[in-house]
Amino acid sequence: MTTAQPRPAGQPRHSLRTDILEARPVNLDGFVEEWPEKGLVAMESEFDPAPSVRVEDGRIVELDGRQRADFDFMDSFIADHAIDVASAEESNALPSAEIARMLIDPRASRDDVLAVTRGLTPAKVLDVLKLMNVVEIMQGMQKMRARRTPANQAHSTSARDNPVQVAADAAEGALRGFAELETTLGVLRYAPLVAIALQVGAQVGRGGVLTQCALEEATELELGMRGITAYAETISIYGTESVFIDGDDTPWSKAFLASAYASRGIKMRFTSGTGSEVQMGNAEGKSMLYLEIRCILMAKGAGVQGLQNGSISCIGVPGAVPGGLRAVAAENLVASMMDLECASGNDQSFSHSAMRRTARMMPQLLPGTDFVCSGYSAVPNADNMFAGSNFDTEDYDDWNTIQRDFQVDGGLRHVREDEILLARSKAARALQALFAYLDLPAVTDDEVEAATYANSSADYPFRDVLADLKGAQAVMDRGITGLDIVKGLESAGFHDVAENLLTVLRQRVSGDLLQTSAVLTADFTPLSAINDPNDYAGPGTGYRLEGERWAELKKLRHVTSATDPESEVG
Amino acid sequence: MSASLDTGLTRGDYPLSVNRPELLRTPTGKPITALTMDAVVSGELSAEDLRIAPETLELQAQLADASNRPQLAMNFRRAAEMCAIPDAEVLGMYNALRPGASTAAELAAMADRLETTWSAPVCAGLVREAAEVYARRDLLARAGAEDGEDTP
Repeated sequence: MTTAQPRPAGQPRHSLRTDILEARPVNLDGFVEEWPEKGLVAMESEFDPAPSVRVEDGRIVELDGRQRADFDFMDSFIADHAIDVASAEESNALPSAEIARMLIDPRASRDDVLAVTRGLTPAKVLDVLKLMNVVEIMQGMQKMRARRTPANQAHSTSARDNPVQVAADAAEGALRGFAELETTLGVLRYAPLVAIALQVGAQVGRGGVLTQCALEEATELELGMRGITAYAETISIYGTESVFIDGDDTPWSKAFLASAYASRGIKMRFTSGTGSEVQMGNAEGKSMLYLEIRCILMAKGAGVQGLQNGSISCIGVPGAVPGGLRAVAAENLVASMMDLECASGNDQSFSHSAMRRTARMMPQLLPGTDFVCSGYSAVPNADNMFAGSNFDTEDYDDWNTIQRDFQVDGGLRHVREDEILLARSKAARALQALFAYLDLPAVTDDEVEAATYANSSADYPFRDVLADLKGAQAVMDRGITGLDIVKGLESAGFHDVAENLLTVLRQRVSGDLLQTSAVLTADFTPLSAINDPNDYAGPGTGYRLEGERWAELKKLRHVTSATDPESEVG
Repeated sequence: MSASLDTGLTRGDYPLSVNRPELLRTPTGKPITALTMDAVVSGELSAEDLRIAPETLELQAQLADASNRPQLAMNFRRAAEMCAIPDAEVLGMYNALRPGASTAAELAAMADRLETTWSAPVCAGLVREAAEVYARRDLLARAGAEDGEDTP
């Protein structure tokens, strides 16, 4: 262009294309330059330590360049609990490239890899991951995921903390395939009613779905102890000593808490994620992935069976820096290569761009993880009290289509509307009957009707919040337990739902759900890394989407019949 | 727990609820097969019947060992020791382990109580180890000062 138009000073002319690009949703996202000194860097920082390990008299006396006397409490805990001392020196002496190759080589079994990784230091693990691109990370995940069969987890919450909504949406979510459902509250005092509603709805939708209610530690544990919830997950850990202390915990307090849950027969996993330390203002100048690897090893050392990671509520931080989502995929792989259950993020919303949101989950969906999302929003995002999820109810059909397109199992399936309406209605009616039995604030027939056909909390009649909060308090004061819920459901004629819940409660007596990556199948068989170990050994092996399950996932809302192009199947 | 519980479980025994239900009892001594709807309705069952027994946690620890998960097994063994400790005391101990919540003497007393009152030597060991690290990292409450523990 030689005939440049004169333009006002300081107002450069933009092309029409630039205007269009400026208006794209992705440009509402935040992006920042790396700042390694402050830990604002995904996984490549010159400030991360070099790997080293030295063992004397059966103890690790040097870890990643630090001598034992100088260990902070993360170093101490990791050295004394997480790393296999017997193999540490030998494993760390292996070239990182060799370990990275083992991770992607189908001829090395999962157990072969674990024999090496259980002795690695955090910096050595980082050194291995730094060699891997995102496709290699996915290939590693395909083999290292602990449970052979992938699954998915959802949020079921309500902007009004409406228990009727939570019950109906839990039923629909369970029916659609989520193996675990979690809730949390706007008003914390609502917790007992909403947790009960979640449990009832889940057992209506599909018997054996596990539920949890994310709260502060003491209340969360109490609801679990009473059998109102079945598992727990929001037990946060951090990668630096200073941030761990800011969270008012230490590796020892959290390890003690992990055992407390197990002592009540309750499944539990920790939560951590890249970006939390820099977000909380003290990354000690280390990369996000290095700090997350320390969290993962801490979790391993505590003996907790699993970890929710993949940045979770801090996803905006790695999402803003170069290579951030590669690091997030890497942290999931590290959890799996430390032999932990991995509930792999795709949780809190982080981008305005539909394309970016979809791309973000590919490294988990395609290889499969223990739980592809650790919080797919099974309610509209406006009702999501976990601050919104990367996917919500509007994305169900897209998710199902992507599963069908790539022939991958993301844990969900298309369900016909008549089945969904039945389940939603039944969940609301079961809750209505149970609340009546327990002398809790009534659920009206209008609410049941609304729950059957609703989309969001705005579609329900208002509840008497004060009466509900009194009822919630009464649940705690009267010592209502899971057993009371079973009795109430049974006496109200919801025998199958009562039986489902009793079977879930009975599981805690067996402890089977405490093992790594355990879920309950539809016939109430515990499925974990012990009886469903990932046996991937290259093409044609491991979990394959085939047979009945594949037939199920071929169904969508609209699929044209091959024999009669005028009609649809399903 | 005691070595007499060594049942030689292998991975093939998992899930115990399916393959070895005869090994599973409630803390009240009922077989797991007694946890039926009839028993719920007749009021024979209490919440105590739906808790895990320490012996069961030891079985799960053996399965974890057999699966090459020693840390998980150790967690289950600490858990087995905690079964008898009341909920409120477990939570109190957890709170006492928070940073700056306890003095060295308080942690030592807690470890002793775990060991003597609750026969929980593995848990006691974890608390003593915490006390040692807390001392080195300046995470103990000052002796004589109010303890920083939260009360609801």
